[in-house]
Amino acid sequence: MLFFSFFKTLVDQEVVVELKNDIEIKGTLQSVDQFLNLKLDNISCDDETKYPHLSTVRNIFIRGSTVRYVYLNKNMVDTNLLQDATRREAMSEKK
Amino acid sequence: MSFFGKRSRGGAKGRHPQQQQGGGAGAGAGGEPLDFEETYRGYGDYGQEDGDYLNDETFGDNAELGNDFDFGHGVQQQEAVPQPPQQQPHVSYVQAAQSGIHTAQMDTSADLKPMASLWSTGPPAVQQPHILSMEEIERQQRQMQQQGFMQAPPPPPPIHPMTPQGYPVPPSDAPYQGFMQGPPPPPPATAPNAPTAPNMQQFAPNVQYGMPGQQGAYPPAFNQGAFPGMYQASSPAPVQPQGAPDRGELQSELQPQPQSQSQSQSPQPEREQRLASGQPAQLRTRLQQQQQQQRREPLSPEEQQRLQVRHAKVEKILKHAGLMTPRDKDFITRYQLSQIVTEDPYDEDFYFQVYKIIQRGGVVGESNKGLIARAYLEHSGHRLGGRYKRADIALQRMQNQVEKAVTVAKERPQKNKNKLEEEASGAGGREGVLGKVSTAMNSKTPRRQLQIPLANLRSNSEIEASELEASAKVPTPGALEEVTQSLDNVEISQKSRVRRRSSYAFSSVDHNSVLGRSGGRKFVLSLIETVYEEVLELEANLRSGKETNNQKLWDALHVNDDVYEVCPFVSMLTFDKGVKIMPRIFNFLDKQQKLKSLQMFFSELSHLNIIIISSYKTNPTPSDAQLKKIDLFQTVFLKIIVSFLSSSSNFIEIMGLLLHLIKNNNVSFISTSKIGLNLITVLISRAALIRQDTNRSNVLSSPEISTWNEIYDKLFTAMESKIVAVFPPAEYTDRVVHAAGSTAPTKYYDQAYIWQFLASLALSGKLNHQRIIIDEVRDEIFGTINAAEEMREQAKNTQGAPADDLLYRRDKLYQDLNLFLNVMGLIARDGEIAELK
Repeated sequence: MLFFSFFKTLVDQEVVVELKNDIEIKGTLQSVDQFLNLKLDNISCDDETKYPHLSTVRNIFIRGSTVRYVYLNKNMVDTNLLQDATRREAMSEKK
Repeated sequence: MSFFGKRSRGGAKGRHPQQQQGGGAGAGAGGEPLDFEETYRGYGDYGQEDGDYLNDETFGDNAELGNDFDFGHGVQQQEAVPQPPQQQPHVSYVQAAQSGIHTAQMDTSADLKPMASLWSTGPPAVQQPHILSMEEIERQQRQMQQQGFMQAPPPPPPIHPMTPQGYPVPPSDAPYQGFMQGPPPPPPATAPNAPTAPNMQQFAPNVQYGMPGQQGAYPPAFNQGAFPGMYQASSPAPVQPQGAPDRGELQSELQPQPQSQSQSQSPQPEREQRLASGQPAQLRTRLQQQQQQQRREPLSPEEQQRLQVRHAKVEKILKHAGLMTPRDKDFITRYQLSQIVTEDPYDEDFYFQVYKIIQRGGVVGESNKGLIARAYLEHSGHRLGGRYKRADIALQRMQNQVEKAVTVAKERPQKNKNKLEEEASGAGGREGVLGKVSTAMNSKTPRRQLQIPLANLRSNSEIEASELEASAKVPTPGALEEVTQSLDNVEISQKSRVRRRSSYAFSSVDHNSVLGRSGGRKFVLSLIETVYEEVLELEANLRSGKETNNQKLWDALHVNDDVYEVCPFVSMLTFDKGVKIMPRIFNFLDKQQKLKSLQMFFSELSHLNIIIISSYKTNPTPSDAQLKKIDLFQTVFLKIIVSFLSSSSNFIEIMGLLLHLIKNNNVSFISTSKIGLNLITVLISRAALIRQDTNRSNVLSSPEISTWNEIYDKLFTAMESKIVAVFPPAEYTDRVVHAAGSTAPTKYYDQAYIWQFLASLALSGKLNHQRIIIDEVRDEIFGTINAAEEMREQAKNTQGAPADDLLYRRDKLYQDLNLFLNVMGLIARDGEIAELK
């Protein structure tokens, strides 16, 4: 649940999602679910010439399994808190 | 008819207001009582006025009642044909509705036939002879729309999902069958604790069969030919259209089609095109056109266009309307929610929960469930409040759902346990409804990329032993030091031995030698993790209001541990994470424990990695990362010490700490590091403050004062003749300024901390001490004054911001210098030192 919990805090923030087929889509994260499926709004694609079909799309649903990376702004992450959360996760697994 | 619970309302026949007869006032005319669930979302109303939903907007106010319109689902074949348009004006709404039910019942019977294409892998069997493929229907529709949307068959029923009867129900499906005969379940909204969830589970098989039916409602672009049964089901089979000469041809054309339906493209597109645009549609439209023109004024082209647009919109809305009942939606929602919600959000959703609290500034506004409900409403595309935009009710409802979902979530582990049995009895099929749900792997325990075998996690003592072994084998500086020490240590006292050790320690910035003597790097790191775990647990207890016992934490800190040469507690401060956790540790320690750990800290200051890093002697070229480390230590740990000293320590304790520092460390070395100098400053200035303070209220006892003088003498002796060493050389300061780079706000080395130290040293000392200090740092004093005057000269020759900056720096230099000079009643101003008046 850690990653789900983490991505929930990114809702309404702008992220860049790189898919496993190398497409990079920038957009505002609308929602995320437990499978880390993502909903993006106001999307834009850097390489318009390569993927012209995306130029008319405004929002998009991305299946979580097709995501390679999600690029985020550094200050969207509370690293200390994330460390704590990770430790808690590890602790709960040990139990 | 419906997927989940809906059927139960109408009994086995499955009368559903929307699905039975799209245009019919099915439920309303039938006089069937509406339950809360229906009225709530506006579905009750919807059912009643379904037929003329938005009709006035769509067709103008002058449309006659009973004049029903097709919204383009190719069902015109169904409706237009059995009820020729001529009859329409005379049919009352109720009649139409009832006849609708009639047709629907017929449909059900038609549905009884299983769809071979769905259940076999081979090519689908030939269906009844006169099927239109979806492509055909689609084309006809488009054609008609282009011709101005003139026809008036009753609105189509949304495509029938497969009736359960249409499919072979597995014999093991007993609960489901039984349920259908049973009484309808109470609606969830009125009875939140009613056993709805279990009911839903029983419906699971039904759901599975229902799903393929849903596909029939996909836009025709999907998979057209694959489900001929859909349309066949909704169009009464045996009626042949009159006056449609091409129809027969069309059908004969279509007959072989099912066989090739697996290929989504028709083999003869041109021909189909011709057929589709051919007679039947045109003919019928013409008829309807005539009919309509009798009734209403001809529409202007603009109006027609407007209507077309509107029609397209309505069609879009109605396309999938009523496919799922509110109850179905609730079920899905609840199921999805049950994957998300947890009983203990702090436990399983820690990051999100705490992050939100931090973001909101520590205010916990809503309950967790309310938050989930709201978030889910906002992001799930649920219409807020349905037709009436009653967001509050919707939220309330969603909260109910969350509540129930929590219950479902609680049941989950148990269910997994019982899963095998359930499957055996045929009732465990729900898992598959919304995708594959594996018991071993789900969103909570996803598949791991890294599998770390637990066997490799040796116990601490083992690690420790191997570390010691390794350090003995490898000739590290630490081991080397042991050797040199044992060579000539016979006569050196304990104190000098410690000094010696520390003098060796600072010959290397590499902290491994120190770590090696406190149990090894791995040991220290694992200690830090243990400490984190303890702190997290204590914090969790504190939050939930439980009792906190810090004994385990205290043990984990190893403050009193004499086993290691260097205290593990001090070694923990080698790592950033060890430094960062300190404030949180101190939250849980009592005063004695704090004092004890600080005593240990000051005793072993020489082993502190940060001192070695921040001393210009041992680390003349600090890296960027090291400077950051120094900064972190300064802001985090120094703060703890200052707050401890200023809030809860008395004079004797401070003296004790200072004594620990002087006795066990090479003070002159420590004073070459910024951190070390700061630490000494903090101690002596706090002591000086207490002395001044108590001078007024209650006087310190004479033994206290004499002890203090003794300690101060010791400190001064240790520093004497090396006081000037507190000033780092120019190369070092240049290097630091350079490494800080553009991120630093100032472009020069701030020496304020040095003058602060000298000021507090002078403040506590007697006149002869002060004289010695001035003697030793005289060059620095005049150097600073010269530098300041130089800046003024430069400022005269420059203009604007640089000049201001120079003047500011000049003032700053004087300010810092005067910190020290003022203590002795002197002041430096405009290049001269004068007496303070």
